[in-house]
Amino acid sequence: MPRQVMERRAADNPYLHKDFHGALNCGIVYLHRHFGEAAVREWLRDFALNWYGPLRQRLATEGLTPLRHHVEAVYEVEGATVRCEQTADDLVVHVEACPAVTHIRALGGDPSPLFVETTRTVNEALCEGTPFRAELLAYDPQTGRSVQRFCRRTP
Amino acid sequence: MIPCTEFIPAYSELFRALHRLGGETAVRGFWDYLSEAFLTNLRDLVAEHGLRGCWLYWDHTLNEEAADFTMELDEEAGEFRITMHHCPSKGRLLEATHFEAYPDYCRHCDVLYRNILEPMGYQYEVDLSRCAQAACSVTVRRGGAGVAAEHGPDGRGRRTGGEPHGDRA
Repeated sequence: MPRQVMERRAADNPYLHKDFHGALNCGIVYLHRHFGEAAVREWLRDFALNWYGPLRQRLATEGLTPLRHHVEAVYEVEGATVRCEQTADDLVVHVEACPAVTHIRALGGDPSPLFVETTRTVNEALCEGTPFRAELLAYDPQTGRSVQRFCRRTP
Repeated sequence: MIPCTEFIPAYSELFRALHRLGGETAVRGFWDYLSEAFLTNLRDLVAEHGLRGCWLYWDHTLNEEAADFTMELDEEAGEFRITMHHCPSKGRLLEATHFEAYPDYCRHCDVLYRNILEPMGYQYEVDLSRCAQAACSVTVRRGGAGVAAEHGPDGRGRRTGGEPHGDRA
């Protein structure tokens, strides 16, 4: 077989490597096993606080609309649909199936019992330092189907 | 849900959490675990196809990650090489000025794949000297200092299986 060469530029492909969900699940499993549940939640909280800093700032100053756009974009990029119900003080997100859970299971994996924290803890951290709070109203660990609520804090 | 497009900062933050909890040993322990539990498809492809397995593996992952790269396979010479002109993962971390990445982020690429390939009898070299520019290179050569003979013809003797969903991480 002659020498083979493949050249690719970043613009040649869309950025979508769903197998990363499996690596994230491994991270949860490892951290849980060696350092406990609290370490998993602390990691995900720190990630959300740091990575979503600009989004949290917009949530604090502009309200729920930037958050809704973020949530819609997150699921859309993975090919999933969500239904959002928004008022000035309340955003409810209905997710039919979590694309991460779907992908992990499709490849024969088993999501960690703490995989739910990638939604619950991340959403709660997104709201830290803002007038809003997050609740996970429903979550099915088999499919990742969920109902997520963001609402204005009451005094 | 953390979308796969935002996995890289979560991964970086995981390394930081592990370092805080258990130092470099904990970080290294996770990388070893990830090789074992997650990179089963690289191991399987190389076991089945030899050096071409590297080509098949990174063809899938680097294209899905929209990397800017040159990949070369010379089976007669026994060499496979990736020249990463711009790593999408490190590139994202460098672009995010509001986010402080784990300082030794790129070293996981040394550990993860070396763990797989060296026991299968391949030399694995990685040049991380240009990480600050999101660039690096990987060279895999057949007939390295590995111990394939001790591990059977597919080099899997030391392995204990793992989750069947591995990929570039």
